[in-house]
Amino acid sequence: MAGLLAKERIIAGPGFNRWLVPPAALAIHLSIGMAYGLSVFWLPLSRAIGITQPAPGDWKVSTVAWTFTFGIVFLGLSAAVFGRWLERVGPRKAGVAAAFCWGGGFMISALGVYVHNIALLWLGIGIIGGCGLGLGYISPVSTLIKWFPDKRGMATGMAIMGFGGGAMIGSPLANILINHYATPMSVGVWETFVTMGAIYFVTMLCGAFGYRLPAPEWKPASWTPPVTQSALITTRHVHVSQAWRTPQFWFLWVVLCMNVSAGIGVINMASPMIQEVFGGKLIGVAGALKDLLADQRVQVATIGAGFAALLSLFNIAGRFFWASLSDYIGRKPTYFIFFAFGTVLYATAPFAGKIGNVALFAGIFCVILTMYGGGFATIPAYLADLFGTQHVGAIHGRLLTAWSVAGVLGPVLVNYLREYQLGHGVPAASAYNTTMYILAGLLVIGFFANLAVKPVADGRYMSDAQLADERRLAHEAGGAR
Amino acid sequence: MTTPTAPTKPSPSSWLLVAVAWTLVGIPLAWGIYRTLLTAVKLFR
Repeated sequence: MAGLLAKERIIAGPGFNRWLVPPAALAIHLSIGMAYGLSVFWLPLSRAIGITQPAPGDWKVSTVAWTFTFGIVFLGLSAAVFGRWLERVGPRKAGVAAAFCWGGGFMISALGVYVHNIALLWLGIGIIGGCGLGLGYISPVSTLIKWFPDKRGMATGMAIMGFGGGAMIGSPLANILINHYATPMSVGVWETFVTMGAIYFVTMLCGAFGYRLPAPEWKPASWTPPVTQSALITTRHVHVSQAWRTPQFWFLWVVLCMNVSAGIGVINMASPMIQEVFGGKLIGVAGALKDLLADQRVQVATIGAGFAALLSLFNIAGRFFWASLSDYIGRKPTYFIFFAFGTVLYATAPFAGKIGNVALFAGIFCVILTMYGGGFATIPAYLADLFGTQHVGAIHGRLLTAWSVAGVLGPVLVNYLREYQLGHGVPAASAYNTTMYILAGLLVIGFFANLAVKPVADGRYMSDAQLADERRLAHEAGGAR
Repeated sequence: MTTPTAPTKPSPSSWLLVAVAWTLVGIPLAWGIYRTLLTAVKLFR
Protein backbone atom coordinates (compact mmCIF):
# COMPACT_ATOMS: atom_id res chain seq x y z
CA MET A 1 0.00 0.00 0.00
CA ALA A 2 2.81 2.40 0.96
CA GLY A 3 4.50 1.81 -2.38
CA LEU A 4 1.25 2.40 -4.19
CA LEU A 5 1.05 5.86 -2.67
CA ALA A 6 4.70 6.78 -3.21
CA LYS A 7 5.50 9.91 -5.14
CA GLU A 8 7.80 8.00 -7.50
CA ARG A 9 4.86 5.78 -8.52
CA ILE A 10 2.78 8.65 -9.85
CA ILE A 11 5.21 10.25 -12.29
CA ALA A 12 3.30 10.29 -15.58
CA GLY A 13 4.71 8.45 -18.56
CA PRO A 14 5.01 9.84 -22.10
CA GLY A 15 1.66 10.49 -23.76
CA PHE A 16 -0.19 11.08 -20.49
CA ASN A 17 -3.04 13.52 -20.97
CA ARG A 18 -2.80 16.39 -18.47
CA TRP A 19 -6.56 17.02 -18.74
CA LEU A 20 -7.07 13.90 -16.59
CA VAL A 21 -5.67 15.70 -13.53
CA PRO A 22 -8.35 18.43 -13.09
CA PRO A 23 -11.24 15.90 -12.78
CA ALA A 24 -9.20 14.01 -10.15
CA ALA A 25 -8.79 17.28 -8.24
CA LEU A 26 -12.49 18.06 -8.74
CA ALA A 27 -13.49 14.70 -7.25
CA ILE A 28 -11.70 15.68 -4.04
CA HIS A 29 -12.84 19.31 -3.96
CA LEU A 30 -16.48 18.44 -4.74
CA SER A 31 -16.39 16.06 -1.74
CA ILE A 32 -14.81 18.40 0.80
CA GLY A 33 -16.91 21.32 -0.50
CA MET A 34 -19.79 19.84 1.51
CA ALA A 35 -18.23 21.73 4.44
CA TYR A 36 -20.30 24.72 3.31
CA GLY A 37 -23.49 22.65 3.17
CA LEU A 38 -23.31 21.27 6.71
CA SER A 39 -26.01 23.68 7.94
CA VAL A 40 -28.58 21.33 6.40
CA PHE A 41 -27.95 19.01 9.40
CA TRP A 42 -28.34 21.58 12.20
CA LEU A 43 -32.15 21.61 12.50
CA PRO A 44 -32.60 17.80 12.46
CA LEU A 45 -29.71 17.50 14.94
CA SER A 46 -31.45 19.96 17.26
CA ARG A 47 -34.29 17.45 17.67
CA ALA A 48 -32.28 14.22 17.65
CA ILE A 49 -33.99 13.11 20.89
CA GLY A 50 -37.41 14.72 20.49
CA ILE A 51 -37.57 13.67 16.79
CA THR A 52 -40.55 15.90 15.86
CA GLN A 53 -39.59 18.82 18.10
CA PRO A 54 -36.70 19.68 20.48
CA ALA A 55 -36.91 17.83 23.79
CA PRO A 56 -34.96 18.17 27.07
CA GLY A 57 -31.38 17.07 26.42
CA ASP A 58 -31.48 18.01 22.75
CA TRP A 59 -28.61 20.09 21.38
CA LYS A 60 -29.11 23.74 20.45
CA VAL A 61 -28.52 24.78 16.83
CA SER A 62 -25.78 27.15 18.04
CA THR A 63 -24.05 24.20 19.74
CA VAL A 64 -24.05 21.85 16.75
CA ALA A 65 -23.05 24.72 14.42
CA TRP A 66 -19.66 24.79 16.18
CA THR A 67 -18.86 21.73 14.05
CA PHE A 68 -18.52 24.04 11.04
CA THR A 69 -16.37 26.56 12.93
CA PHE A 70 -14.03 23.78 14.09
CA GLY A 71 -13.89 22.51 10.51
CA ILE A 72 -12.79 25.83 9.03
CA VAL A 73 -10.27 26.49 11.81
CA PHE A 74 -8.73 23.02 11.42
CA LEU A 75 -8.76 23.43 7.64
CA GLY A 76 -6.39 26.38 7.99
CA LEU A 77 -4.28 24.79 10.71
CA SER A 78 -3.83 21.44 8.96
CA ALA A 79 -3.07 23.08 5.61
CA ALA A 80 -0.41 25.18 7.33
CA VAL A 81 1.10 22.28 9.31
CA PHE A 82 0.93 19.51 6.69
CA GLY A 83 1.72 21.57 3.57
CA ARG A 84 5.44 20.79 3.75
CA TRP A 85 4.73 17.09 4.31
CA LEU A 86 2.47 17.14 1.24
CA GLU A 87 5.26 18.54 -0.93
CA ARG A 88 7.54 15.67 0.17
CA VAL A 89 5.15 12.74 -0.09
CA GLY A 90 3.16 13.93 -3.09
CA PRO A 91 -0.52 14.53 -3.76
CA ARG A 92 -1.68 10.91 -3.82
CA LYS A 93 -0.68 10.11 -0.23
CA ALA A 94 -2.09 13.46 0.92
CA GLY A 95 -5.33 12.82 -1.00
CA VAL A 96 -5.71 9.37 0.59
CA ALA A 97 -5.06 10.85 4.06
CA ALA A 98 -7.70 13.49 3.30
CA ALA A 99 -10.17 10.74 2.27
CA PHE A 100 -9.62 8.90 5.56
CA CYS A 101 -10.02 12.13 7.57
CA TRP A 102 -13.11 13.47 5.77
CA GLY A 103 -14.90 10.13 5.25
CA GLY A 104 -13.79 8.86 8.68
CA GLY A 105 -14.84 12.13 10.27
CA PHE A 106 -18.40 11.54 9.04
CA MET A 107 -18.32 8.05 10.57
CA ILE A 108 -17.13 9.35 13.96
CA SER A 109 -19.79 12.07 13.90
CA ALA A 110 -22.39 9.41 13.04
CA LEU A 111 -21.36 7.58 16.22
CA GLY A 112 -21.58 10.87 18.09
CA VAL A 113 -25.16 11.38 16.93
CA TYR A 114 -26.05 7.74 17.63
CA VAL A 115 -24.83 7.88 21.25
CA HIS A 116 -25.76 11.58 21.52
CA ASN A 117 -22.29 12.80 22.40
CA ILE A 118 -21.56 16.34 21.15
CA ALA A 119 -17.79 15.96 21.62
CA LEU A 120 -17.76 13.06 19.12
CA LEU A 121 -19.80 15.13 16.66
CA TRP A 122 -17.26 17.98 16.87
CA LEU A 123 -14.27 15.61 16.82
CA GLY A 124 -15.51 13.77 13.72
CA ILE A 125 -16.50 16.28 11.06
CA GLY A 126 -15.14 19.32 12.88
CA ILE A 127 -11.60 18.39 13.93
CA ILE A 128 -10.63 15.21 12.04
CA GLY A 129 -12.80 16.19 9.07
CA GLY A 130 -11.29 19.69 9.23
CA CYS A 131 -7.82 18.15 8.81
CA GLY A 132 -9.23 16.31 5.77
CA LEU A 133 -10.48 19.63 4.42
CA GLY A 134 -7.05 21.23 4.72
CA LEU A 135 -5.17 18.29 3.21
CA GLY A 136 -7.73 17.79 0.44
CA TYR A 137 -7.89 21.47 -0.42
CA ILE A 138 -4.15 21.92 -0.98
CA SER A 139 -3.43 18.42 -2.34
CA PRO A 140 -3.87 19.24 -6.06
CA VAL A 141 -2.59 22.82 -6.09
CA SER A 142 1.10 22.41 -6.86
CA THR A 143 0.38 19.38 -9.08
CA LEU A 144 -2.04 21.37 -11.26
CA ILE A 145 0.34 24.33 -11.45
CA LYS A 146 3.11 22.01 -12.67
CA TRP A 147 0.83 20.43 -15.29
CA PHE A 148 -0.50 23.77 -16.53
CA PRO A 149 2.42 26.25 -16.52
CA ASP A 150 0.63 28.02 -19.38
CA LYS A 151 -2.76 28.20 -17.57
CA ARG A 152 -1.98 28.25 -13.85
CA GLY A 153 -5.01 30.32 -12.92
CA MET A 154 -7.47 28.32 -14.97
CA ALA A 155 -6.16 24.97 -13.69
CA THR A 156 -6.37 25.83 -9.99
CA GLY A 157 -9.62 27.72 -10.65
CA MET A 158 -11.20 24.52 -11.95
CA ALA A 159 -10.31 22.59 -8.79
CA ILE A 160 -11.28 25.34 -6.38
CA MET A 161 -14.55 25.77 -8.29
CA GLY A 162 -15.28 22.24 -7.09
CA PHE A 163 -15.02 23.35 -3.48
CA GLY A 164 -17.68 25.98 -4.20
CA GLY A 165 -19.88 23.38 -5.90
CA GLY A 166 -19.61 20.68 -3.23
CA ALA A 167 -22.45 22.04 -1.13
CA MET A 168 -24.69 22.27 -4.22
CA ILE A 169 -24.49 18.50 -4.53
CA GLY A 170 -24.14 17.60 -0.86
CA SER A 171 -26.98 19.70 0.57
CA PRO A 172 -29.81 18.33 -1.60
CA LEU A 173 -28.33 14.83 -1.34
CA ALA A 174 -28.30 15.14 2.46
CA ASN A 175 -31.93 16.28 2.44
CA ILE A 176 -32.95 13.31 0.29
CA LEU A 177 -31.05 10.89 2.57
CA ILE A 178 -32.39 12.40 5.81
CA ASN A 179 -35.97 12.04 4.52
CA HIS A 180 -35.23 8.50 3.36
CA TYR A 181 -33.76 7.37 6.70
CA ALA A 182 -36.11 9.30 9.02
CA THR A 183 -38.30 7.05 11.19
CA PRO A 184 -40.40 7.66 14.32
CA MET A 185 -37.25 6.63 16.28
CA SER A 186 -34.61 8.61 14.35
CA VAL A 187 -34.24 11.92 12.54
CA GLY A 188 -32.10 10.08 9.99
CA VAL A 189 -28.89 12.07 10.49
CA TRP A 190 -26.49 9.38 11.71
CA GLU A 191 -27.52 7.08 8.88
CA THR A 192 -27.00 9.97 6.43
CA PHE A 193 -23.55 10.64 7.89
CA VAL A 194 -22.57 6.98 7.36
CA THR A 195 -23.82 6.99 3.76
CA MET A 196 -22.24 10.30 2.84
CA GLY A 197 -18.99 9.42 4.62
CA ALA A 198 -18.76 6.24 2.52
CA ILE A 199 -19.56 8.12 -0.71
CA TYR A 200 -16.97 10.82 0.02
CA PHE A 201 -14.34 8.25 1.04
CA VAL A 202 -14.67 6.33 -2.24
CA THR A 203 -14.89 9.48 -4.39
CA MET A 204 -11.82 11.01 -2.77
CA LEU A 205 -9.85 7.78 -3.11
CA CYS A 206 -10.70 7.75 -6.84
CA GLY A 207 -9.49 11.34 -7.06
CA ALA A 208 -6.28 10.63 -5.15
CA PHE A 209 -5.48 7.64 -7.35
CA GLY A 210 -6.13 9.79 -10.42
CA TYR A 211 -3.32 12.20 -9.49
CA ARG A 212 -0.19 12.08 -11.64
CA LEU A 213 2.90 14.26 -11.46
CA PRO A 214 4.70 15.50 -14.54
CA ALA A 215 8.31 14.41 -15.04
CA PRO A 216 10.84 17.02 -13.85
CA GLU A 217 11.11 19.98 -16.25
CA TRP A 218 8.15 18.69 -18.28
CA LYS A 219 6.31 21.26 -20.35
CA PRO A 220 3.26 21.11 -22.65
CA ALA A 221 4.02 20.11 -26.23
CA SER A 222 2.62 23.25 -27.79
CA TRP A 223 3.96 25.71 -25.25
CA THR A 224 7.16 27.71 -25.17
CA PRO A 225 7.91 29.61 -21.95
CA PRO A 226 7.76 33.35 -22.69
CA VAL A 227 11.19 34.95 -23.07
CA THR A 228 10.14 38.12 -21.29
CA GLN A 229 7.46 38.23 -18.66
CA SER A 230 6.25 40.33 -15.76
CA ALA A 231 8.72 40.97 -12.93
CA LEU A 232 6.03 39.47 -10.67
CA ILE A 233 6.44 36.04 -12.30
CA THR A 234 9.59 34.23 -11.23
CA THR A 235 11.24 31.14 -12.67
CA ARG A 236 13.10 30.54 -9.39
CA HIS A 237 11.83 29.06 -6.13
CA VAL A 238 11.47 30.29 -2.55
CA HIS A 239 11.61 27.77 0.32
CA VAL A 240 8.42 27.65 2.41
CA SER A 241 10.44 28.44 5.54
CA GLN A 242 11.61 31.65 3.84
CA ALA A 243 8.36 32.53 2.09
CA TRP A 244 6.36 33.25 5.21
CA ARG A 245 9.10 35.61 6.41
CA THR A 246 8.69 37.84 3.35
CA PRO A 247 6.43 40.92 3.27
CA GLN A 248 4.88 39.54 0.06
CA PHE A 249 3.47 36.55 1.95
CA TRP A 250 1.83 38.78 4.56
CA PHE A 251 0.50 41.22 1.97
CA LEU A 252 -1.17 38.29 0.23
CA TRP A 253 -2.38 36.99 3.61
CA VAL A 254 -4.15 40.34 4.15
CA VAL A 255 -5.44 40.29 0.54
CA LEU A 256 -7.06 36.87 1.06
CA CYS A 257 -8.31 37.64 4.56
CA MET A 258 -10.01 40.91 3.57
CA ASN A 259 -11.54 39.51 0.39
CA VAL A 260 -12.91 36.45 2.20
CA SER A 261 -14.10 38.36 5.30
CA ALA A 262 -16.22 40.68 3.19
CA GLY A 263 -17.68 37.92 1.01
CA ILE A 264 -18.30 35.34 3.72
CA GLY A 265 -20.16 37.95 5.78
CA VAL A 266 -22.55 38.51 2.89
CA ILE A 267 -23.03 34.79 2.19
CA ASN A 268 -24.05 34.16 5.80
CA MET A 269 -26.62 36.95 5.83
CA ALA A 270 -27.82 36.89 2.20
CA SER A 271 -31.29 35.49 2.79
CA PRO A 272 -32.30 37.55 5.86
CA MET A 273 -30.65 40.64 4.36
CA ILE A 274 -32.75 40.78 1.17
CA GLN A 275 -35.89 40.01 3.19
CA GLU A 276 -35.27 42.77 5.72
CA VAL A 277 -34.11 45.37 3.19
CA PHE A 278 -37.07 44.98 0.81
CA GLY A 279 -39.76 43.35 2.96
CA GLY A 280 -43.15 43.18 1.18
CA LYS A 281 -41.77 44.75 -2.00
CA LEU A 282 -40.35 41.33 -2.88
CA ILE A 283 -43.92 40.02 -3.37
CA GLY A 284 -45.48 43.27 -4.55
CA VAL A 285 -47.12 44.41 -1.31
CA ALA A 286 -46.37 47.39 0.87
CA GLY A 287 -44.81 47.12 4.33
CA ALA A 288 -41.70 46.03 6.12
CA LEU A 289 -40.96 42.35 6.87
CA LYS A 290 -42.29 42.62 10.43
CA ASP A 291 -45.65 43.93 9.15
CA LEU A 292 -46.31 41.00 6.78
CA LEU A 293 -48.80 38.18 7.37
CA ALA A 294 -47.50 34.67 8.07
CA ASP A 295 -48.10 33.35 4.53
CA GLN A 296 -46.52 36.46 3.04
CA ARG A 297 -43.45 35.90 5.21
CA VAL A 298 -43.20 32.36 3.86
CA GLN A 299 -43.24 33.72 0.29
CA VAL A 300 -40.57 36.29 1.16
CA ALA A 301 -38.43 33.62 2.85
CA THR A 302 -38.66 31.50 -0.33
CA ILE A 303 -37.35 34.46 -2.33
CA GLY A 304 -34.57 34.92 0.24
CA ALA A 305 -33.53 31.29 -0.27
CA GLY A 306 -33.58 31.88 -4.04
CA PHE A 307 -31.25 34.86 -3.59
CA ALA A 308 -28.82 32.78 -1.50
CA ALA A 309 -28.86 30.05 -4.17
CA LEU A 310 -28.23 32.58 -6.94
CA LEU A 311 -25.22 33.91 -5.03
CA SER A 312 -23.74 30.42 -4.69
CA LEU A 313 -23.97 29.98 -8.48
CA PHE A 314 -22.11 33.24 -9.08
CA ASN A 315 -19.59 32.22 -6.41
CA ILE A 316 -18.55 29.07 -8.33
CA ALA A 317 -18.74 30.78 -11.74
CA GLY A 318 -16.40 33.49 -10.45
CA ARG A 319 -13.85 30.92 -9.34
CA PHE A 320 -13.37 29.69 -12.89
CA PHE A 321 -13.89 33.02 -14.69
CA TRP A 322 -11.58 35.29 -12.68
CA ALA A 323 -8.83 32.70 -12.19
CA SER A 324 -8.80 32.03 -15.96
CA LEU A 325 -8.86 35.76 -16.75
CA SER A 326 -5.88 36.27 -14.43
CA ASP A 327 -3.78 34.15 -16.82
CA TYR A 328 -4.21 36.92 -19.40
CA ILE A 329 -4.30 40.15 -17.38
CA GLY A 330 -2.03 39.10 -14.47
CA ARG A 331 -2.78 38.34 -10.81
CA LYS A 332 -2.12 41.79 -9.38
CA PRO A 333 -4.47 43.54 -11.85
CA THR A 334 -7.11 40.88 -11.13
CA TYR A 335 -7.05 41.66 -7.39
CA PHE A 336 -6.91 45.36 -8.26
CA ILE A 337 -10.31 44.88 -9.97
CA PHE A 338 -11.68 42.85 -7.02
CA PHE A 339 -10.81 45.52 -4.50
CA ALA A 340 -11.46 48.69 -6.53
CA PHE A 341 -14.70 47.52 -8.16
CA GLY A 342 -15.76 45.61 -5.03
CA THR A 343 -15.43 48.72 -2.86
CA VAL A 344 -17.66 50.67 -5.25
CA LEU A 345 -20.21 47.84 -5.30
CA TYR A 346 -20.38 47.49 -1.50
CA ALA A 347 -20.74 51.26 -1.17
CA THR A 348 -23.54 51.29 -3.80
CA ALA A 349 -25.58 48.46 -2.24
CA PRO A 350 -27.27 50.68 0.41
CA PHE A 351 -28.34 53.06 -2.39
CA ALA A 352 -29.93 50.17 -4.32
CA GLY A 353 -31.79 49.22 -1.14
CA LYS A 354 -32.88 52.79 -0.50
CA ILE A 355 -34.40 53.26 -3.97
CA GLY A 356 -36.04 49.84 -3.69
CA ASN A 357 -34.41 48.36 -6.79
CA VAL A 358 -34.31 44.60 -6.15
CA ALA A 359 -32.64 43.75 -9.48
CA LEU A 360 -29.83 46.26 -8.92
CA PHE A 361 -29.35 45.05 -5.33
CA ALA A 362 -29.24 41.38 -6.38
CA GLY A 363 -26.97 42.18 -9.34
CA ILE A 364 -24.47 44.01 -7.12
CA PHE A 365 -24.16 41.04 -4.78
CA CYS A 366 -23.92 38.54 -7.64
CA VAL A 367 -20.88 40.41 -8.99
CA ILE A 368 -19.42 40.71 -5.48
CA LEU A 369 -19.75 36.94 -5.01
CA THR A 370 -17.95 36.21 -8.29
CA MET A 371 -15.02 38.22 -6.92
CA TYR A 372 -15.20 36.44 -3.56
CA GLY A 373 -14.86 33.07 -5.34
CA GLY A 374 -12.30 34.51 -7.75
CA GLY A 375 -10.16 35.61 -4.81
CA PHE A 376 -9.93 32.04 -3.53
CA ALA A 377 -9.22 30.56 -6.95
CA THR A 378 -6.58 33.05 -8.11
CA ILE A 379 -4.42 33.05 -4.98
CA PRO A 380 -2.50 29.77 -5.70
CA ALA A 381 -1.38 31.10 -9.09
CA TYR A 382 -0.41 34.44 -7.49
CA LEU A 383 1.75 32.50 -4.98
CA ALA A 384 3.32 30.40 -7.75
CA ASP A 385 4.14 33.56 -9.71
CA LEU A 386 5.85 35.19 -6.73
CA PHE A 387 7.46 32.24 -4.92
CA GLY A 388 7.92 29.65 -7.70
CA THR A 389 6.33 26.22 -7.92
CA GLN A 390 8.61 24.04 -5.76
CA HIS A 391 6.86 24.74 -2.44
CA VAL A 392 3.69 26.43 -3.65
CA GLY A 393 1.40 23.84 -2.03
CA ALA A 394 3.02 24.32 1.37
CA ILE A 395 3.05 28.12 1.03
CA HIS A 396 -0.62 28.04 0.00
CA GLY A 397 -1.32 25.89 3.04
CA ARG A 398 0.15 28.50 5.37
CA LEU A 399 -1.72 31.29 3.61
CA LEU A 400 -5.02 29.50 4.24
CA THR A 401 -4.80 30.51 7.92
CA ALA A 402 -6.16 33.80 6.54
CA TRP A 403 -9.33 31.89 5.61
CA SER A 404 -9.68 30.55 9.16
CA VAL A 405 -9.44 34.08 10.54
CA ALA A 406 -11.84 35.43 7.92
CA GLY A 407 -14.28 32.59 8.57
CA VAL A 408 -14.73 33.94 12.09
CA LEU A 409 -14.19 37.66 11.41
CA GLY A 410 -16.64 38.12 8.52
CA PRO A 411 -19.79 36.58 10.02
CA VAL A 412 -19.09 38.06 13.47
CA LEU A 413 -18.67 41.53 11.95
CA VAL A 414 -21.90 41.36 9.95
CA ASN A 415 -24.00 39.70 12.70
CA TYR A 416 -22.87 41.96 15.54
CA LEU A 417 -23.13 45.17 13.51
CA ARG A 418 -26.69 44.23 12.59
CA GLU A 419 -27.61 43.43 16.19
CA TYR A 420 -25.96 46.63 17.41
CA GLN A 421 -27.86 48.79 14.96
CA LEU A 422 -31.20 47.11 15.61
CA GLY A 423 -30.55 47.56 19.33
CA HIS A 424 -30.05 51.29 18.75
CA GLY A 425 -33.37 51.72 16.97
CA VAL A 426 -32.18 51.60 13.34
CA PRO A 427 -34.99 50.20 11.12
CA ALA A 428 -34.32 46.65 9.87
CA ALA A 429 -34.33 47.87 6.24
CA SER A 430 -31.39 50.20 6.98
CA ALA A 431 -29.52 47.98 9.45
CA TYR A 432 -27.11 46.72 6.79
CA ASN A 433 -26.01 50.12 5.44
CA THR A 434 -23.18 50.73 7.92
CA THR A 435 -22.14 47.08 7.56
CA MET A 436 -21.76 47.54 3.79
CA TYR A 437 -19.58 50.62 4.29
CA ILE A 438 -17.40 48.69 6.76
CA LEU A 439 -17.07 45.76 4.35
CA ALA A 440 -16.08 48.29 1.67
CA GLY A 441 -13.46 49.51 4.16
CA LEU A 442 -12.06 45.96 4.45
CA LEU A 443 -11.66 45.90 0.68
CA VAL A 444 -9.79 49.23 0.81
CA ILE A 445 -7.29 47.59 3.20
CA GLY A 446 -6.98 44.68 0.76
CA PHE A 447 -6.52 47.13 -2.12
CA PHE A 448 -3.45 48.70 -0.50
CA ALA A 449 -2.03 45.33 0.54
CA ASN A 450 -2.27 44.16 -3.08
CA LEU A 451 -0.74 47.41 -4.29
CA ALA A 452 2.24 46.84 -1.97
CA VAL A 453 3.10 43.44 -3.54
CA LYS A 454 6.49 43.66 -5.28
CA PRO A 455 8.84 40.94 -6.58
CA VAL A 456 10.53 38.86 -3.89
CA ALA A 457 14.06 39.99 -2.97
CA ASP A 458 16.90 38.01 -4.61
CA GLY A 459 18.28 36.75 -1.31
CA ARG A 460 15.06 34.85 -0.55
CA TYR A 461 15.34 32.40 -3.46
CA MET A 462 16.92 28.96 -3.10
CA SER A 463 20.34 28.46 -4.66
CA ASP A 464 20.74 25.69 -7.28
CA ALA A 465 22.32 23.47 -4.62
CA GLN A 466 19.45 24.08 -2.17
CA LEU A 467 16.90 23.42 -4.91
CA ALA A 468 18.60 20.15 -5.87
CA ASP A 469 18.61 19.15 -2.21
CA GLU A 470 14.90 19.97 -1.87
CA ARG A 471 14.08 17.97 -4.98
CA ARG A 472 16.04 15.03 -3.61
CA LEU A 473 14.10 15.25 -0.33
CA ALA A 474 10.90 15.44 -2.34
CA HIS A 475 11.86 12.25 -4.23
CA GLU A 476 11.92 14.11 -7.52
CA ALA A 477 14.15 12.29 -9.94
CA GLY A 478 15.49 15.50 -11.45
CA GLY A 479 17.05 16.51 -8.17
CA ALA A 480 19.18 13.40 -7.99
CA ARG A 481 20.84 13.98 -11.31
CA MET B 1 21.07 20.89 -13.53
CA THR B 2 18.06 18.96 -14.77
CA THR B 3 17.53 17.89 -18.32
CA PRO B 4 14.29 19.16 -19.85
CA THR B 5 11.90 16.36 -20.71
CA ALA B 6 10.96 16.32 -24.37
CA PRO B 7 7.34 17.43 -24.77
CA THR B 8 5.08 14.66 -25.99
CA LYS B 9 1.54 14.93 -27.28
CA PRO B 10 -1.18 13.00 -25.41
CA SER B 11 -2.07 9.71 -27.03
CA PRO B 12 -5.33 9.87 -29.06
CA SER B 13 -6.96 7.17 -26.92
CA SER B 14 -6.34 9.24 -23.78
CA TRP B 15 -9.01 11.71 -24.89
CA LEU B 16 -11.66 9.01 -24.40
CA LEU B 17 -10.46 8.59 -20.82
CA VAL B 18 -10.57 12.37 -20.40
CA ALA B 19 -14.19 12.41 -21.58
CA VAL B 20 -15.12 9.63 -19.13
CA ALA B 21 -13.36 11.34 -16.20
CA TRP B 22 -15.01 14.70 -16.89
CA THR B 23 -18.41 13.03 -17.26
CA LEU B 24 -18.02 11.32 -13.89
CA VAL B 25 -17.42 14.61 -12.09
CA GLY B 26 -19.62 16.66 -14.43
CA ILE B 27 -22.86 14.74 -13.84
CA PRO B 28 -23.09 15.30 -10.07
CA LEU B 29 -21.93 18.90 -10.51
CA ALA B 30 -24.58 19.51 -13.18
CA TRP B 31 -27.22 17.93 -10.92
CA GLY B 32 -26.16 20.23 -8.07
CA ILE B 33 -26.27 23.30 -10.31
CA TYR B 34 -29.70 22.27 -11.63
CA ARG B 35 -31.07 21.89 -8.07
CA THR B 36 -29.63 25.27 -7.13
CA LEU B 37 -31.13 26.88 -10.24
CA LEU B 38 -34.55 25.51 -9.27
CA THR B 39 -34.22 27.39 -5.97
CA ALA B 40 -32.71 30.50 -7.56
CA VAL B 41 -35.55 31.01 -10.07
CA LYS B 42 -37.92 31.68 -7.14
CA LEU B 43 -36.20 35.08 -6.87
CA PHE B 44 -37.54 36.02 -10.30
CA ARG B 45 -41.14 34.80 -9.91
